Amino acid sequence: MTVKPGATRSRLDPEPMPRRDVLGLLSLWSMATALLFATVGMFRLPKAAVLASPSKKFRVALPDTLAAGEPFVPPGRAVAIYRDPEGVYAISTICTHLGCIVHATTQGFECPCHGSGFTASGEVTRGPAPRALDWLQVSTSGGLVTVDEGVTVPSGTRVPV
Amino acid sequence: MSLSLPRTPLQVFRDHLRAAPGRMVHSAFRTGTPSTDRGRSSFVFGNVFLHLHSVRTHRWSLRWMTTAGLGIASVAAFLITLVTGVLLMFYYKPYPDVAYDSIKDIHFVVPTGRFMRNIHRWAANVMVVTVILHMARAFYTASYRAPREFNWLIGLALLVTTLGLSFTGYLLPWDQLAFWAITIGANIAQSPREVTDALGITEHFDPGGLQRLLLLGSDTVGDEALIRFYLLHVMLLPLVAAMLMAVHFWRIRKDGGLTKPADVNQRLGPPPADVYPVFTEEPVKTYHLAAIVRGRTPAVGSGPEHTVPSMPHLFYAELGVLMLTLFVCTALALVSDAPLKELANAQVPENPAKAPWYFLGLQELVAFSAFMGGIGIPAIVLIGLGLIPYLDREEEGTGVWFGGPGGWRLVQRSIAFGFSAALIVESIAIRFGWLREWFPDIPQLVVTAINPGTVLTLIYAWYSVWLVRRYGSTRAGALGLFTCFLCGFIVLTVIGTYFRGPNWEFFWSPADWPGGH
Amino acid sequence: MQKNKWLLLVSSLGVLALLVVAAVQENYLREWRQVQATAVGDEGPIPVMLRQIVNPGLGTADRCVSCHVAMGPGEQGVTGPQMALHRPVVHDPAEFGCTVCHGGQGRATDKADAHGHVRFWPEPMLPVSMSEAGCGTCHTATGVPRRDVLDLAAATYARLDCAACHRVDGRGGTVRPDGGGMEGPDLSRVGLAGYDPSWYDAHVAKAATETSGPWATAFGPISAPDRAHLETFLHTRVAAPRLIAAKSVFLSSGCLGCHKVSGVGGDTGPDLTRIGERDPGQLDFTPVPGRRSLENWFSAHVRAPSSVVAGSQMPALGLSDEDVQALTLFTLSLRRREVPGSYLPLDQIRVARLGVREFASDGASVYAAFCAGCHGPEGQGHRAAGLAAFPSVANPDFLGLASDTLVAETILRGRPGTRMRAWADGTTGLTAEDVPPLVAHLRALAGVPAPSETRPPRWVAGDVREGERLYAGSCAGCHGAAGEGADAPALRNPVLQELATDTYFVETVRRGRRGTAMPAFGTPSSTYRTLSASELESLITFIRSWGGPS
Repeated sequence: MTVKPGATRSRLDPEPMPRRDVLGLLSLWSMATALLFATVGMFRLPKAAVLASPSKKFRVALPDTLAAGEPFVPPGRAVAIYRDPEGVYAISTICTHLGCIVHATTQGFECPCHGSGFTASGEVTRGPAPRALDWLQVSTSGGLVTVDEGVTVPSGTRVPV
Repeated sequence: MSLSLPRTPLQVFRDHLRAAPGRMVHSAFRTGTPSTDRGRSSFVFGNVFLHLHSVRTHRWSLRWMTTAGLGIASVAAFLITLVTGVLLMFYYKPYPDVAYDSIKDIHFVVPTGRFMRNIHRWAANVMVVTVILHMARAFYTASYRAPREFNWLIGLALLVTTLGLSFTGYLLPWDQLAFWAITIGANIAQSPREVTDALGITEHFDPGGLQRLLLLGSDTVGDEALIRFYLLHVMLLPLVAAMLMAVHFWRIRKDGGLTKPADVNQRLGPPPADVYPVFTEEPVKTYHLAAIVRGRTPAVGSGPEHTVPSMPHLFYAELGVLMLTLFVCTALALVSDAPLKELANAQVPENPAKAPWYFLGLQELVAFSAFMGGIGIPAIVLIGLGLIPYLDREEEGTGVWFGGPGGWRLVQRSIAFGFSAALIVESIAIRFGWLREWFPDIPQLVVTAINPGTVLTLIYAWYSVWLVRRYGSTRAGALGLFTCFLCGFIVLTVIGTYFRGPNWEFFWSPADWPGGH
Repeated sequence: MQKNKWLLLVSSLGVLALLVVAAVQENYLREWRQVQATAVGDEGPIPVMLRQIVNPGLGTADRCVSCHVAMGPGEQGVTGPQMALHRPVVHDPAEFGCTVCHGGQGRATDKADAHGHVRFWPEPMLPVSMSEAGCGTCHTATGVPRRDVLDLAAATYARLDCAACHRVDGRGGTVRPDGGGMEGPDLSRVGLAGYDPSWYDAHVAKAATETSGPWATAFGPISAPDRAHLETFLHTRVAAPRLIAAKSVFLSSGCLGCHKVSGVGGDTGPDLTRIGERDPGQLDFTPVPGRRSLENWFSAHVRAPSSVVAGSQMPALGLSDEDVQALTLFTLSLRRREVPGSYLPLDQIRVARLGVREFASDGASVYAAFCAGCHGPEGQGHRAAGLAAFPSVANPDFLGLASDTLVAETILRGRPGTRMRAWADGTTGLTAEDVPPLVAHLRALAGVPAPSETRPPRWVAGDVREGERLYAGSCAGCHGAAGEGADAPALRNPVLQELATDTYFVETVRRGRRGTAMPAFGTPSSTYRTLSASELESLITFIRSWGGPS
């Protein structure tokens, strides 16, 4: 504050502001930093650290009558499981386009939302789907099949029963 | 200039594109960098958030002693609860049991969730404290007097809203603490039945049952109650609070800024050298618009001497208090976690089931009579507070701490009297019991009318009447009464918090509670 | 206005500092972060993140695997100083989660909170030594034998050295030298999974064909009683040996005489069906030594009931430390969680739908389960401080005079007005079919056959007035002035009066009852008056007058 009190001023004059108010600027900037830091922390909150959905891994018993190439879709899961002489494999029935559940038949898969079609091994035949359906990791033990929806494997991977 | 060739439309477009950022800023703030007093003034009244302030602030208002920043601290606490509350809503699910799990999730797995919940909880408590202290400040500086009577009423409404916000938030975790506190709260809402039952008219006229039904949406505390409390907590009450706050701030401006003593300029003396710029010459003309305004608006006619530009002087003060409040809330949040007890269980009552601390004074009164403690006496207090500005039409001591006849000495005596009276009445009730213990067959109506709470109220009222006569001043009586009630509130709250154990019995220390708690 | 700038500066820096502290706490100092930082997976350090097992069916969201990473789904390869693998169990933790068996707070991520050793968590973790109590959440073992039978079965299994080839409960069994796996199958779960009922014949046939190796050298014939013991042993192998042993102790201590468990038992004491879920926060720990845990409270209570629960009517049972541990384990196992039908185990369904019993149904087992608590394990009666004595029911003098009908009807209909309730009223889990074996067991305990009765049930015809005088002089002191019973049993009891024969009364008074306070009034003595035959008859005539017309 360098202005002398005795100097004549008019109230209509533009009143100068001190050029360098170190303390004021420092306090304002520290406040801005603190609030920015707090905001960064707050923006982390909506990104959930754990999801409420159940484990992607599940075990299921295949029906004895399941024919080769015939899909078995366990209730409540978006997976088609197949058994043929070479082994067991599972294909995700989630469309690679926009996530609709595709309908599994012995010929292949049909997506009801935007008309994508897939072969029995999941390759795209028509429609907007950008890539083939995912093949999922499968393991077998004691007649039960364990499928992990979270892990994809190369197309064509079969696990011997 | 003269040499400029006609520009092609593409060049025009490019120039506009270049100028766009600067114009965007200008269109938002209209003024340039507010480096001069005039610039700062137009910045303040050109901004929707800032124009609640007047452009210039009196030096008196900026003294720490004038307000202690309590009003701003309350707003700051409100803003903090608002922000953290919105964040908590990302994860909170208002359904019984699920609600409890979601709080556990917020506590244990949500990134920064525990911290945010703690801040939310502490800011809510800080807000209750600052609102009460803010009211005390306004009272003791006689700031409720004309022309600020209505703003005092708005303030009372904000006090009630604040308590309502805290209370409704109490149920949301759906733990034992919440469940039983709300069960008691809902039964207090039903307590007019104590009177209607005693009169035998509950069948025809049952305001208590209606209140409880409206609050709970059912006959027990269940999912209906939870969704209602949630709605109140996150929607209705914040809206009400925000609206009342807007009116409250606007009225401060319209009522001529903060209360100042009549001889404020003499008290302040000449402005010190570091206060720049302060007008030193007489105004050539007064504010044109303000001159048209009729009535006794205090801003009219007085010049801007002894005022400083709100920007930056007032804003430094406000931001300082805001950050101080944030500091207090985060510090408390780091030190102490918000409580979460067992999942609510309708079969196992909490013993003792205690309301939030600011209601423990009421709970102490409720232990004597649900109606008088929960509704009667609070209503009397609120009505009394609301009437004060209309009964006290004096002018002595406005804007001065403990201003009025008697002053600080009277307040000191009232503190002594208020504490002793409350302690004596409580001691009698704790040591010897009350009417029901002495005369088991006594009608409920008598207990409702004569209980430690009403007796204490009457003693205070009598004391206040005595003061009015003694000093010949309503303000003196009001000072005494307000002080007494504050003391009574403190005594009852402390007893309810620290000295009441299972079955609401008196214990010197929680270590003496049965059951080895 | 410098003050306000300073205020703003200091507060802002303060907030910043606090936020940094909070950020460090949140991002570096959490227990689970530090544990995971020390762990190493197949491909180097594992990503540090919250891990959990969610099972909506069981209502679990268990973050236990945030620290116990190696127990999580697909993370068996993770090693580290604080990593332990779960031992192989039927219930894959990756599917079932942790809390359904172990208790504790699955949603928590701090150790104290997760293990539930905090003030406000009602279901703390079961101690590792009692982890089998967690099986009780869903399972209930059926047909559990008495402890002596169980001990004998285990001893037989050990004596015959079955463990040379077979593995049971993690012990025994040998690996074939040529790498063909275990010599004999693991028998830990055969009580649930079942086994070949013709195993013995198969073993004998196999041993006969082999010429060398363990089959030829290690297997020999087993006697029929030993085979029966082995069957008992196999039947009780349900992968929870401690829980079975504990349940056996419970069922051998007569607890069901006073307590109900899942609708079976008496009503004198509290229902124990879900006692294992008690919230430690609601219990009084002042008289309990050690940590404030449910198991400590239970063991202190079983040891000395009335010192832990004021006014408890439960007698101190004088149990060994081992038995106290067993009963504590069993009480902890009495817990339930609502599970969907697909998770409901077979044993629970058998008990709930088919009425399969949790205890063996022979007379000795039923006696041990329902009667031994009051009447003593050998039927010798029981005296407990502060309580009236419980009569000796296996007393030879009593059983030598009492007909089977009297004993059976007493059990079925009880003795109204005493602590002996009617047991066959359909609310106790005891049925009329249980009573004959029970009576037979009592006779076996006493070693006396049923009396052969030659006289009609009612034959006394004495002087009522003289009888009244004699009663007042010799009997009223113990049996009460009006026969209402005091230290000695009530004689005015309608069931007794209806079923007991005159001979029973006369002979009991004449011969007394050894082992009790009842003297033989027919034998000359210096301490009490000897009664002649006619005096006896008068006395009984008077006592009979309480029973109404004969």
